[in-house]
Amino acid sequence: MDYLWLKALHVAAVLVWIGGLLVVAVAIAALSLSKEAAERPDRTAVFAVRRWDRHVTSPAMLLVWGAGLSLAMLGGWFRSPWLIIKLVFVLLLTVLHGFLSGTLRKLGRSDEPPASFGLRHAPLLIVISVAAIVVLVVVKPV
Amino acid sequence: MSPQERAEELTQLRRMRAVSLLEGSTLLLLLLVAVPLKHLAGVSVATHIMGPIHGLAFLAYLWMLIQTVSGGGWSRSETTRLVVAALIPFGAFVNERALARRQAMLGGSG
Repeated sequence: MDYLWLKALHVAAVLVWIGGLLVVAVAIAALSLSKEAAERPDRTAVFAVRRWDRHVTSPAMLLVWGAGLSLAMLGGWFRSPWLIIKLVFVLLLTVLHGFLSGTLRKLGRSDEPPASFGLRHAPLLIVISVAAIVVLVVVKPV
Repeated sequence: MSPQERAEELTQLRRMRAVSLLEGSTLLLLLLVAVPLKHLAGVSVATHIMGPIHGLAFLAYLWMLIQTVSGGGWSRSETTRLVVAALIPFGAFVNERALARRQAMLGGSG
């Protein structure tokens, strides 16, 4: 019973985290695509995304880790290779989130240049990582 | 830097300092209370509680560090120093002092 409640909490937190992460990634991609300042999205919109990231997405990420590690301990999953591979992807998403979040803060300032080319591909990287995580958790191929 | 940007930067530094102190304190509790309790008194419940709490605090600390540094305004040497200190035990306290100095430089009180 506790395990299922924890699992429900984990999945809900994952949905909120990934949703918020994609919003940040797409916002940065949009900012880096526009070369002229006039073309850039409204700063109010950037501010709203940052506020959501700070108050909702980042706490959701911590909840994902807390609930996820508790589930792994309760279920004795730490010896399973699929979980180890999954953790690599989750770490990648966590680092990417920190980087994107900081970059968005930087882009919120008027005097900063647009993001580097590589960041435009962040949304795709997130989608691929999430797909890999879902396959690892649901199918457990290894 | 506009006053609003300065205020935001100060908030970020304050938050980063708080997470640094949290990381350092949970490590202290783990090493000075929980581990001796386990090995000297045979009570392992403290390590079972403090271990994951410190793990999460460390994760939050590293995440905040990545976010703070990628937010810009840090030189390459400052970034290297912050990251190296983050990875050594009790380096969070060293970083907390560095963040406090930067906060004072920007005009914020401790």
